[in-house]
Amino acid sequence: MNNWFISTLFLVITIFIFYGSKRLYQRFPNPFTLPIFMSTFSIVIFLLIFDIPYQTYMQGGKWIDLFLGPIVVSLAVPLYRQRMLIKKYVKAITVGILSGSTVGIVSGIAMAKGFGFQQEIIRTIAAKSVTTPVALGVTDTVGGNLSLAAVFVMIAGISGAMIGPGVVKLFRISHPVARGLGIGTASHAIGTAKALELGELEGAVSALSMTISAVVVSLLVPFFIYILV
Amino acid sequence: MFTWTKRILQIAVLFLFYYIGEAIQAYFSLVIPGSIIGMLLFFLLLTAQVIKIDWVEEGIDFIIKDMPIFFVPVTVGIIQYFDFFYGKGIIMIPSIILSTIFVIAIAGLLTQFTLKNGDNRNE
Repeated sequence: MNNWFISTLFLVITIFIFYGSKRLYQRFPNPFTLPIFMSTFSIVIFLLIFDIPYQTYMQGGKWIDLFLGPIVVSLAVPLYRQRMLIKKYVKAITVGILSGSTVGIVSGIAMAKGFGFQQEIIRTIAAKSVTTPVALGVTDTVGGNLSLAAVFVMIAGISGAMIGPGVVKLFRISHPVARGLGIGTASHAIGTAKALELGELEGAVSALSMTISAVVVSLLVPFFIYILV
Repeated sequence: MFTWTKRILQIAVLFLFYYIGEAIQAYFSLVIPGSIIGMLLFFLLLTAQVIKIDWVEEGIDFIIKDMPIFFVPVTVGIIQYFDFFYGKGIIMIPSIILSTIFVIAIAGLLTQFTLKNGDNRNE
């Protein structure tokens, strides 16, 4: 009876906090009020205050985790809707995403290795540029740490959304396709929300880049881990 | 009521493709996650019009709209790794930010270069 009660309790708390955070974000949109950031932060504080172990929380959370794999499949729908755009810029998209994904993986692995981190961390940083559910799948395949991977992905997303517009300006990246592609490849959905503020084409390209780069990264990470680690 | 039955069935399609992807990954011992294989398969069937987008889009759009909720429990798991960020792990934060800048700059510059110097007959 206790298990059933605890499961339901934490499931309801998570849903409640998420939708509360979402309303907060709608009122005060800012990278630090993003629902994923605020919800995580609030639940962590809640667990710390009441001294609840993560394992207990996960009796409810595990039901939500079941969707992590299937949600990746859903990305096929926005990708399908953007197929004309992909066709139109196929060459630039191929060059940009392949180079961006490679740079993200290699620079991440190189820095983690350079700072002398252990294997697990090196394997965790590799997929940090892609959308969370894919990053988790990739990290799981190569033997990294899932919770740290989720946080690394969030850092890449929030920082890219905050400094992305400045970076494209600094490097004189003016073409909307190039701007959207850079931000989407580096900062997935959080970056895409920002790219949409730069323009409609920027947003659309960012969205498709986030999905295509996720596929590319899932192919490249095992390869680079094999040759570099 | 009918709307919800329909949405649940449409969301079930995601689970179906996910399990097919996982089965393919396991059978061929591939290094790509099964979820990605399922996504590519679903994309191919949509493109080939074997599955029509309007059969599935309502439920899937519903679930995509609040996608971040699915990442909350795993991200809360960071509670077990605070020590990491108290120690030298903190340098991972500027490293990730730097790597993110590299990606935006290089992907953006090479995309722009290709657009300006490549074959632009489509523009």
